[in-house]
Amino acid sequence: MTIWATGLSAERSGRTILHSTDVVIRSGERVGLVGASGSGKSTLGHALIDTLQAQGQSVAHVPQSPDEALDPLRSLAFHWAEAERALGMKPDPTRQAELFTALRIEGGNLRKRPWGWSRGMQQRFVIAMALIGAPDLLVMDEPTSALDPIVAAGTMDLLDRYLQDRQTALLLVTHDLGLAARRVSRLMVMEDGRIVEDAPTHQVLSAPETRAAKSLCAHRNWLELPC
Amino acid sequence: MIRVLASLCLRAVVVLTGAALATFALLWHAPGDPALAIALARYDSLVPADVVDQIRVEAGIDAGFWTAFQAWLSPLLTGDFGQSSVTGRDVWPELMTALSYTVPLALAGLLIGITLSVPLALLATRKAGSWLDRFAVGLASLGAAIPAYWLGLLLILLFAVQLGWLPAMGARTSAHLILPALTLGLGVAASLTRILRSGILEARGQSFLPALRRRGVAARDIERHHVAPHAAIPVLTVFGLELAFLLEGAVIVEVIFARPGLGSFLVDAIEARDFPKVQAVVILAAVLFVVVNLLIDLVYRGLDPRIGERDA
Amino acid sequence: MLNVDGVCVKRGGKPTLQGVSMSIAPSRTLAVVGESGAGKSTLIGAILGMIPCAAGTITWNDAPVRRCKPALVMQEPRSAFNPRLCLRRSVMEPLVAQGIAVDAAHLAALCQGLEISADLLDRRPSQVSIGQAQRVGILRALIASPPLVLFDEPLSALDAVTQKHTARLIADLQQNVGFAALIVTHDLGYAAAFADDIAVLRAGRIEELTTAQDFVTAPQSAYGHTLRDAAFALGALEQVA
Repeated sequence: MTIWATGLSAERSGRTILHSTDVVIRSGERVGLVGASGSGKSTLGHALIDTLQAQGQSVAHVPQSPDEALDPLRSLAFHWAEAERALGMKPDPTRQAELFTALRIEGGNLRKRPWGWSRGMQQRFVIAMALIGAPDLLVMDEPTSALDPIVAAGTMDLLDRYLQDRQTALLLVTHDLGLAARRVSRLMVMEDGRIVEDAPTHQVLSAPETRAAKSLCAHRNWLELPC
Repeated sequence: MIRVLASLCLRAVVVLTGAALATFALLWHAPGDPALAIALARYDSLVPADVVDQIRVEAGIDAGFWTAFQAWLSPLLTGDFGQSSVTGRDVWPELMTALSYTVPLALAGLLIGITLSVPLALLATRKAGSWLDRFAVGLASLGAAIPAYWLGLLLILLFAVQLGWLPAMGARTSAHLILPALTLGLGVAASLTRILRSGILEARGQSFLPALRRRGVAARDIERHHVAPHAAIPVLTVFGLELAFLLEGAVIVEVIFARPGLGSFLVDAIEARDFPKVQAVVILAAVLFVVVNLLIDLVYRGLDPRIGERDA
Repeated sequence: MLNVDGVCVKRGGKPTLQGVSMSIAPSRTLAVVGESGAGKSTLIGAILGMIPCAAGTITWNDAPVRRCKPALVMQEPRSAFNPRLCLRRSVMEPLVAQGIAVDAAHLAALCQGLEISADLLDRRPSQVSIGQAQRVGILRALIASPPLVLFDEPLSALDAVTQKHTARLIADLQQNVGFAALIVTHDLGYAAAFADDIAVLRAGRIEELTTAQDFVTAPQSAYGHTLRDAAFALGALEQVA
């Protein structure tokens, strides 16, 4: 199912931080939303989620850090049951086992509270929880910045594998073009609350058109920086 | 868990021993001759020196501080509060009579405090900064600023003198309980409202709540399952302190409304240097305090096990 | 020259650093990489003398490190400043503390090197961007010309473009001013691009210590391999065919 949202916009204290924007994402597509900090990419991500949910489309969100997704006073089992209830679904151990195996957290003790697990496992639990309802779109906010590189890379690989033959589309919101370039097939580049460039990844990387895209591409790699 | 309980109990014992020693020392070293004070309280007139000396021996004052302390402490360990050094009667039944007036007053005050503060705090936090919120905060500050004896007098003036609806002095009927309980309860309500309000507002500002909303969790469930437990933690913490306020407030309120109870029991005992009576009140208050705080500690650990982990 | 020799640190009875040795020559850069909990922050604390060593020595030119007055650049730039003071006063603090007069030419050179305009220093921490605040943090670290500067995750609060820009500014300044730098980071890309040597810290031990070049092409330890491959997978490093 194609995801479709029009006229997304946002203001903060009288200033427009997101100009009217349309977003179309095809089923199963991997899209990166990249831009410098303050370019409005997180705002667009949140506006997209809110609008799609209001339209009744199934969209799930994975925040930057597990601290922003889990209540430290509640057990992981509680979070899981709550997420199922929120989707109007009955508890399904098979589905749970399948997701846990896919994200390699099947050994975790669900009676523990989030801080009883490592951060990497918490993040994968949050991702598994987001996938319960097999959403049309999964929005991930800077998924790697709160984790150690080895854990972050492992998590992204597991997610990639899980999404491979599924209908769920992925929107990766990040400041890091290097990360996005490895994971998505299409890039939306943001600057000053607007999408200024929207093209296949290889095209943006090889021939960036706008200033924002050029800057991102020039600073993509640590080992080849412009002087 | 057993280790935690043991350490908590050990802490309780230390606190109780400290409280017993401190009050005994304070009374012992208070200015004036304790034996003379007891004699005056007993005979209500000037007494010859040999009677005072006799009292000194009888009350164990001549034996020195540590012997007197021991003589008082060892029967206490078996639950014997001893006899009044003025009347010679057992302290325990008298204390129970005093408590039979004070406990209903304290409970009624607490009940009024809770029934007023919880709805007020919930209404106020519905929209922070709204006129309702400012009203609640103003009321709470006012309530905390007004001393109990002044509020008590105002209530007496209004309901007993002007309107003549309620009795002001004594404790004969249950109607006599209303004004003192109200005086106490309004003070409790004021401080509870402030704590509840800030606790709820802080709990609502937590970083994981937007994610729960985006996950589709109903607002009601968020309030009940995620905001309430977080708001309860600071409220619980202060609740232990609130108990001290309640006891202290009850003693003052009893004096204002000329109610029998712990207040008059204590004041009379201090004036007469009636060591066993004063000690009995202090020990009782300390036990109550320690037990309540022990319970709060346990509830705390149930709510947020991180607290226990940090100790271990 | 910084010499860390066989340092062990215990915290709460558990060893957090075990036999850590490394050295940094003047004007050279050593990056310490590793996951959280590996002991990176403890190492910084130990070098600054804030955390006592159970064994081993840390010296600068054979004297205690404290005597060379090392500077520290922290991860969270905004919270590193007193929010009530304008940035200029915070920047001058190291000079005031050491009783050194302000050298206007030195300050101007540093500001130019860090692309800090004069009016930026008259603002408060809340009135500047995170990138700007971090550049001012570096200015404060360098104002008293310390021979050794410790960087604790200096770029992780910044976005990808600002990170690389700031890293370039630091490197250029190091060329001009000359200081030994110890950079604690979890970003292998940064370490590979800007450090002379890389030390991989894991569970309080040095897993390997090699030149940055060697580390990217052929890590010696299995853990070093995993770390490098993760950097490839995250796009922090590009694989050379």
